[in-house]
Amino acid sequence: MLADEELMQLVYRSNADAFEVIYDRHADAAFSLAYRMCAQRALAEDVVQEAFLSLWRSRARYDRNRGSVRTWVLGIVHNRAIDALRRRAVRDRGVVDDEGLQERIAAPERTDLDVARREDAREIRDALDELPDEQSRVIELAYFGGLTHVQIASMLDTPVGTIKGRMRLGLAKMRMALGDPAEMVQ
Amino acid sequence: MSAEEPHIEPQLCGDSAAPYVLRALTEEEHVAFLEHLDSCAVCREEVAALQVVAGALPALAPQLSAPPELKQNVMASVREDLRSGAQLSGVESRAPLRSMRRPALAWLQWRPLLASGALAAAVVLAVIVLSSGGRAGTRVISAEVTPRGASASLRVSGGRAQLDISGMPQTAPQRVYEVWVKRSGAPQPTDALFRVTASGDATVGVPGSVDGVKVIMVTAEPLGGSKVPTSSPVIIAHLS
Repeated sequence: MLADEELMQLVYRSNADAFEVIYDRHADAAFSLAYRMCAQRALAEDVVQEAFLSLWRSRARYDRNRGSVRTWVLGIVHNRAIDALRRRAVRDRGVVDDEGLQERIAAPERTDLDVARREDAREIRDALDELPDEQSRVIELAYFGGLTHVQIASMLDTPVGTIKGRMRLGLAKMRMALGDPAEMVQ
Repeated sequence: MSAEEPHIEPQLCGDSAAPYVLRALTEEEHVAFLEHLDSCAVCREEVAALQVVAGALPALAPQLSAPPELKQNVMASVREDLRSGAQLSGVESRAPLRSMRRPALAWLQWRPLLASGALAAAVVLAVIVLSSGGRAGTRVISAEVTPRGASASLRVSGGRAQLDISGMPQTAPQRVYEVWVKRSGAPQPTDALFRVTASGDATVGVPGSVDGVKVIMVTAEPLGGSKVPTSSPVIIAHLS
């Protein structure tokens, strides 16, 4: 089985079959992240579709020295989701979240790799949970909620500098707790 | 996992590295910090240290299965790209982060343009063609484009649409392009805000289904987009 990085060499040469494998490997994680952020199935689907097409069309920009394919994919999804969230926040304040919770079909653990990823996720969750509430909260509001530090400061009635400091301290503590997260299963 | 001590400097340069890796800076701060990173090794090191943590955060999302139809749409577009000979692009359109500004001009202002087709000299008449060699049901619609030398086509497949744009001028620093859909009545805004590359290219997915959509348009809007168009459209694609 080819590694992601080897597949990306084929993708670079416009091999759609290789790209399909990349999609199959990371689409669930991409959709999970998008849904966690957007809380609406249709919006999450749009985000993921745009992200993968962006990835395909900018495939020449992938640099394995800057991280794994999975990190690259999820980074694009995160950016797209934040764009969508901030856009929606401007236009549809108070939008009702997706009612289709039944659509949140948990992905089954299919392989040893999936199991390992879930173990990693538990470690990351533990590291986040060990933070003081005020630090974990700002990290989650920023990363998953798509809020700027200015918006978070306003929401929590806390100085902007304090919010930025909490973000930095929280991430730094997680970095220490996790060692090198980049070495986790990708 | 090891407990390696990260090399993270204390508060320097405005403490922006953490909100940067979380993408929690405002658009202006984000751009300014990117420039700052070019000249600040301390911040680059801090970003590198914190980025790996941010990169691990997606694992916290409850793991779900992606809808099968999503793959069908993505791969249909990919294979259509191959058939149409689309070139590699450096495009990664990113929406701006700032809040919406007050809309000014309305749809009424440029509705006559649609009716008369009186766009500027570079207008290309809308022609709906079956994409060469494309799979059944895929349409490529050449759009009317105002800027001279620019071109745009709309690819419609499976109820989804995507704009492929080239040669478009850059927006002003405080403006972005926004995609609109029109079924009946006034055009409705979408989440699709984008800028073009230095060469004027962009590939933009039209959010949601285009079933029932008659026209898709692009205007230049203030950062954050608008609820109603504040400028004349630069791209118009007729679906019906």
